[in-house]
Amino acid sequence: MTDFFANFLNPEKRLFIGYLISAAFIAIIWLRMVQKKPLINIVSGFFDSKIWFSRSAIADYKLMLINQFFVKLLAPILIGQLALTIFIFENMHLFFSRPSESFPVWMVMLIFTTVLLIVDDFSRYLLHRLMHRVPLLWRFHKAHHSATNLTPLTVLRTHPIEAILFSLRAVLVHSLCLGVCFFFFSNNVSLIEIFGSSVFVVLFHAFGSNLRHSHINLGYWNWLEKVFISPAQHQLHHSTNPKHYDCNFGAIFSIWDNIGKSCIVSEKNQQIEFGLKEQSDKSHTLKNLIFGS
Amino acid sequence: MFNKRFTAKAVPLTVVLSTAIMVSSSSFARSNVYADFPITLKDYSGSATTSTSYKGQMARHALESSLKKLISKGDMSAMQSYYSGDDANRAIIAPATKGDFVIMQSTIGELSNKNLSGKTYKGLIPGWPGNMTGPEVAQFMFEKAADSEGGYDAAHAYDYTQLVSKFLMGAVTYNQAVDNYLDEKLEADTKPNNKPYKDGAAYTGKEHVWDEAFGYFGAPSHTLTLSAQNVYDIAKQKDVTVADYNYDGKVDLYKEMAFGHAYYASSFDKGGKTTYLHDIVGAYMDGRDMLVAADGKALTDSQRDQLKDYAQVIKTNWEKVIAEAVFKYAGSTYKDMMKIEAILESGGDVAKEWRNYSKHWGELKGFALALQVAGKDMGATSVKLNRLIGYSPLLLGNTQVTGVDSNGEYVQSDSETWGGYMVHMLKVQNLMVDEFGVVARSNDQTAGLSELVKSLGAKSSAEND
Repeated sequence: MTDFFANFLNPEKRLFIGYLISAAFIAIIWLRMVQKKPLINIVSGFFDSKIWFSRSAIADYKLMLINQFFVKLLAPILIGQLALTIFIFENMHLFFSRPSESFPVWMVMLIFTTVLLIVDDFSRYLLHRLMHRVPLLWRFHKAHHSATNLTPLTVLRTHPIEAILFSLRAVLVHSLCLGVCFFFFSNNVSLIEIFGSSVFVVLFHAFGSNLRHSHINLGYWNWLEKVFISPAQHQLHHSTNPKHYDCNFGAIFSIWDNIGKSCIVSEKNQQIEFGLKEQSDKSHTLKNLIFGS
Repeated sequence: MFNKRFTAKAVPLTVVLSTAIMVSSSSFARSNVYADFPITLKDYSGSATTSTSYKGQMARHALESSLKKLISKGDMSAMQSYYSGDDANRAIIAPATKGDFVIMQSTIGELSNKNLSGKTYKGLIPGWPGNMTGPEVAQFMFEKAADSEGGYDAAHAYDYTQLVSKFLMGAVTYNQAVDNYLDEKLEADTKPNNKPYKDGAAYTGKEHVWDEAFGYFGAPSHTLTLSAQNVYDIAKQKDVTVADYNYDGKVDLYKEMAFGHAYYASSFDKGGKTTYLHDIVGAYMDGRDMLVAADGKALTDSQRDQLKDYAQVIKTNWEKVIAEAVFKYAGSTYKDMMKIEAILESGGDVAKEWRNYSKHWGELKGFALALQVAGKDMGATSVKLNRLIGYSPLLLGNTQVTGVDSNGEYVQSDSETWGGYMVHMLKVQNLMVDEFGVVARSNDQTAGLSELVKSLGAKSSAEND
């Protein structure tokens, strides 16, 4: 249970209480100032029991709890991270000259933090795209897409196999960035951090990443949505409408979707139904989520 | 007589008295100095007042350090004289008096008239080309050093001063201690404790076996009264006050100097992560105290087992000291290669860095050879180590010495890329960590990487979009 609560107390996690509060503030401002909704409706909407106690949301909670145990199984993968990092660091010698001069610490921190952000985000996009496009992987990923109500906790509505795949991705990306940057910058490698987490990741979460899985249709200007994915764009990704299938795979940047021709910008007052086409209530059972229909 | 001042010097009289009252009248507070152990031999009738004797070992340390100086002069007959000669008047070239650090002895004969050739490991030296025994490798290196300029062969990046000194430190002193005195000579039927080591000697068989093993380590007899930094300063001849234990104004090479691997142990320990020096000398003291307590009687099986346990502490720590040195110089070699690569890319002159590269590689190779002369089968570790380092440093043009032809000339062949050989140095460091558990890890080229992975690496998470 400690791990469960850590989801809300650790600033490295999207469900950190501070990010949930900031998302709520952003939602209030958006709904009040842009969509001109009465405050009482906004606040009551946050606590709408039809959403929080829907079969879909309850399925989120169950899968979230089960994944606490599966995540424990990932420990050996994380231990292998050092060996992989050293392997990458060593192999860099075969392709590049290791610089003997040192670079200013601030520069190294900026480079490493930016490189990690870009590589991490691209790899998320790539794996997410594969989860949709490869039929075998889609069998696991559709557990996430069967959510008919989106709440911030839907971020943890993940098939255990997918959790493993995404953790492997994280290990690979971190090892690659650390191995390569250590080769060029030695011990100066470090992250620009806030609360022990990358400044960019904290900013991403602080600026409402939790609204991606919500019914709050917050979109950006279209030009900005071609650079950063808005919550409304991610909601399109969860749409049952076939014209929205396989769009907006990105996490932070939509540049990758632009390149991959899968970027769809949001529309004002877009009406979206979430979930899978023709799904039944059975799709929210644990058996169905884990073993399929 | 050695002045056992340690306990009394810094401790108030009242404390000494109260301590004396606390211990029984039949026992004594343990001496911290490896000297002046009493004669326990029952029928000894000579004039000696102590059973402690290891001057021959210190003479060999003086021969080794003097030989190191001679190699850079390229004088073959002088090298031969110090390696295998018998002239008692051979001057102690190093350590020599330096300022107020006055050395008591000036000739080898004042210690004991010995040589090194008779005590060099006779087995195969697999890390050196030509399928040679220890003495053959030494002889081969002397000849090559004499043919080179000041013991340095830039074409093959060989620094014979370093190669010979580090190799002999292993092939003579380390091998003699761990493969002879602390090995078969601890058996019951070899040099028993109820008989003199040799006719007329003041010491028993086992007492002298133990003393000789202690001497080969090269530590000052008062090591346990000193810090690792003190012993390091003694070896570097920086601090006569900590060396001159009996206040006679001179440093006695027999008892007060730091040599060989004891010096290297102190160099690693002064970093604070390890205690090799004191663990080794402590085990020697424990073993010697036990022999005093045996009182000239044959050792029981359990006493010999105890002695072997002390010997094992010594062997394990000593091996780690050499492994730490291999680790350190693999790191130095790696750093030199980085510099050379950068200079070559900018079109500069690498002569100075090449010299350093040769020196550090010579130290690396010498210690790597030393690590393999303990008389035990290191199996795959030995093969890996020798393959990673090769028979020479990687030369420009990506070649390495791969053998010796029938005329004794080096044969070169294509080898690794520059970056590939740098990786070999990293793998040597990994090997020392994995196989010997080195802790001090000087010049660690991946230091900080594991901390970075811990702090910045991926964390487990089921978060997903």
